[in-house]
Amino acid sequence: MSEAELATPFRDRAGRALQDGFLQQALTIATTKFLELRREAFGEFPEGDALRDRARAIKEATLQRLDHYLEQLVDNVERLGGHVHFATTPDDARRIILDIAKRTGTRMAVKSKSMATEEIHLNEALEAAGVTPVETDLGEYIIQLAHERPSHIIAPAIHKTKGQVADLFARELNRPNVPADPEVLTAIARAELREKFLQADMGITGANFAVADAGTVVLVTNEGNGRMVTTLPRVHVAVMGVEKVVPSMTDLAVFLAILAKSATGQKLSVYTTLVRGPRKPEELEGPDEFHLVLLDNGRIAQLGGTLREALYCLRCGACLNVCPVYRSIGGHAYGYTYPGPIGILLTAMLNGAASVKDLAHASSLCGACADACPVRIDIPRMLIELRKEVDEKKIAPWSERVVFTLVAWLLRHPALFRLAAPLARVFQRPFARGGRIERLPLFFGEWTRTRDLPAVAARTFSERWAALEREGR
Amino acid sequence: MSTRAEFLRRIRAELARTPALFPATPSLRPAHPREVADTIRRELSERWPATLQRFQQEFERVGGVLHRVATVQEVPSVVGRLARERDARDVLTWHPSALGFDPARGLADEKLTCRTMPEAVPDAAARRALRDTIATTPLGLTGVDVALAETGTMILRSGPGRPRSTSLLPATHVAVFDRTALVESLAQVAVLLEAWHADEASGAVINFITGPSRTADIELTLTRGVHGPKDVHAIFVERPLRE
Amino acid sequence: MRAALMITCLGDMLFPDVGVAIVRLLRSLGVTVEFPPGQTCCGLPLFNSGYHAEAAGAARRLVEIFKDAPYVVVPSGSCAWMVKHEGPGLLKDTPLAGEARRLAERTYELSQFLVRVLGKTRFGSRLRGRVTYHDSCHLLRGLRESATPREILENLDGVELVELPGHDECCGFGGSFSVRLPEVSSAILEKKLTNVEATGASCVVACDAGCLMQMAGGLTRRKSQVRAVHLAELLEP
Repeated sequence: MSEAELATPFRDRAGRALQDGFLQQALTIATTKFLELRREAFGEFPEGDALRDRARAIKEATLQRLDHYLEQLVDNVERLGGHVHFATTPDDARRIILDIAKRTGTRMAVKSKSMATEEIHLNEALEAAGVTPVETDLGEYIIQLAHERPSHIIAPAIHKTKGQVADLFARELNRPNVPADPEVLTAIARAELREKFLQADMGITGANFAVADAGTVVLVTNEGNGRMVTTLPRVHVAVMGVEKVVPSMTDLAVFLAILAKSATGQKLSVYTTLVRGPRKPEELEGPDEFHLVLLDNGRIAQLGGTLREALYCLRCGACLNVCPVYRSIGGHAYGYTYPGPIGILLTAMLNGAASVKDLAHASSLCGACADACPVRIDIPRMLIELRKEVDEKKIAPWSERVVFTLVAWLLRHPALFRLAAPLARVFQRPFARGGRIERLPLFFGEWTRTRDLPAVAARTFSERWAALEREGR
Repeated sequence: MSTRAEFLRRIRAELARTPALFPATPSLRPAHPREVADTIRRELSERWPATLQRFQQEFERVGGVLHRVATVQEVPSVVGRLARERDARDVLTWHPSALGFDPARGLADEKLTCRTMPEAVPDAAARRALRDTIATTPLGLTGVDVALAETGTMILRSGPGRPRSTSLLPATHVAVFDRTALVESLAQVAVLLEAWHADEASGAVINFITGPSRTADIELTLTRGVHGPKDVHAIFVERPLRE
Repeated sequence: MRAALMITCLGDMLFPDVGVAIVRLLRSLGVTVEFPPGQTCCGLPLFNSGYHAEAAGAARRLVEIFKDAPYVVVPSGSCAWMVKHEGPGLLKDTPLAGEARRLAERTYELSQFLVRVLGKTRFGSRLRGRVTYHDSCHLLRGLRESATPREILENLDGVELVELPGHDECCGFGGSFSVRLPEVSSAILEKKLTNVEATGASCVVACDAGCLMQMAGGLTRRKSQVRAVHLAELLEP
């Protein structure tokens, strides 16, 4: 999202999203479908729960010795003919990739879907350097043509209707009279992009996993673009967050068993591609060069930080699909690369706690995300930690801190607390009718604009206890 | 730009602050994966009919079509039928050493032009020409290293005579396998992956293919053949290919 | 048997009838009900907004107030969760750590107390007709409890329990969330109430004051015939 858009308060961005009829419909259909598919998949998979526990343990074990596993990964990738680069910041990563592009004479790069490359805003940098990036995942292709950012971690264009896509193709691809038929639209994308695959100089991907013991990078996709992009161009660049490394192939299988099920309800995605460096000399096809760019961008600092558990994330999107907030406002309203419950944590990781002073409260703490997460990340706990950090660092507005400090003080003094009810009864008198309040001034109007409020009772329970106690004797 | 040493130093510094959230270990791995893999294969060879049945169920569930033939000599006639249904005349095939049989004669009898992938690697210009051929051939015929029953997945390793795009660029992918490829579960595949990666001779890529290419990115409507094949066929040959 | 009632701040000030109903119900089951004085709030709103030192203060007071109670019964799942799950953590480096853990073990949400401690699932009903049940988040996911309220509701004579579509979906209250992001909170509530009305039930039952406040607030605002009631209000002593 642009600086200008981020300047709009989150609450207003959320409000706009709530007013968008198309978006509301699309969100409901898509998230409902995904969460039903996930439930069905795990419903038929009794081993699922035990595997989720295993997966979580593997992630934690890996982080505990992350230095060891990364070293092993690097050694193996290099031994198999690949090159490894270390990017601490997004700028580092961009420069590394641009250098490779320059050295290899790359004019066009085809990209398989990668949230890591979104994070580092790679496309803009490539364009500025005269390299044309072409998104090939259908959803990413659509939003690239529309000059938008993805609105969901795994289904980037779910906010678009087929009519909108048809109009987009007609306009951007110079194909008048395109019908709003997903089959036709897909066929158009297939034809347009096949040319690009065959002509591209470089393929850029992310990586779902990298197996340390085998120097192997793993891509989980459905469309085939992941395979195209790692087979046809002469250079392959994979950008990967350091936390994606897993120790062994045995560990990999645990994740493969639960990832696609969590994301889309499939047992496995259509293509799982294990890439072990550039093509062997005896192979007919494959890139001549393989580059793995290991990305830090705030991850390493969290190894010893409060958001460490967020490093387990598999980027499956399950938490988005069950989050009542995401399901109401969609991805763009969050304003950053990663939306939804995990997105708030990742944004804090990448941009610091201050960046989520509003987003940390974009949650009713219902816990549906933690339940859905295949690696059982306790997202609500970390949201509360972020809120705490925002309070402690005095990022929260002083008026709020005053109110909470006052409330806390009141709760410690029961005699004063008991005054709250009679005082409230006095203040509410102009507003209360039949035990209900329909309108309140100032801050309290935030509730009453859309909901009634029960009036403070004529006699509180505490005030009735004496009589109730006598009744019991 | 950072160096490896800097990265590792920073990681170690952070780990010193919070080493662990809870006690955890990675998966237990087989000490001798090749031996375990051999044992698995031996046990599976007893139960291949049940495994095949499960494979068929899952394969069809993801949109694949399974054909059964008694001997490898019947494979070309299945391919011929599929080609005719698609008005196609050309078939790409893996090199016979990779396939486990030579389909050229049989395909010629079906009046199909067989474009066999070479085993040796030609020069860059020839490779580009080969790629153009692959990109314009409607059917691709490959073997299968593992047919995974649990998920209806076919696992194909790249290597000499078996380029990756044979199962990717043509609109129809036809894969031939016998009982020795059948494996029941992902857990068993994990053992094979452990055994394989020690094998330096194999190619750089292992592809798991679970049905035809698909997307639901437009209004969650499922469409097939986005970039990869629109349809996927598997031919099971009862008489093992390499006896 | 003696049990202490933790009335909760919302329960005390806004839903005293629920507290009264609980006292009478428990007495009819042979329980002597105590109401230790000095109760204010469990501190959950402070905890959720990140004011943990202050929340620890509230937890400390609870440990002292309820130290002599063999059981503590709470009409709200979220407050019960706070005492059971967060209380011990907040006080873990203090001398009250052990007491906090013991308090956690003795504390029950109402339906859990009735079914799991008293072993009672059959009650008379004050209402007749169709009802539906909303799983409040802290009771469902925090305390992992979805059975006890349903067991009671299913065994009420003259009451037909209908499953609520999206019964495990949040009502949008979330404490301060409801006033920090009121538009989003209300949009979530809309979906909940649409589901509630679709069941044809005359009332939606819940075991949490926050959820009831949110749902009742929406139902009366849209002049619905459906009422939001606490489980205790249905049960005849």
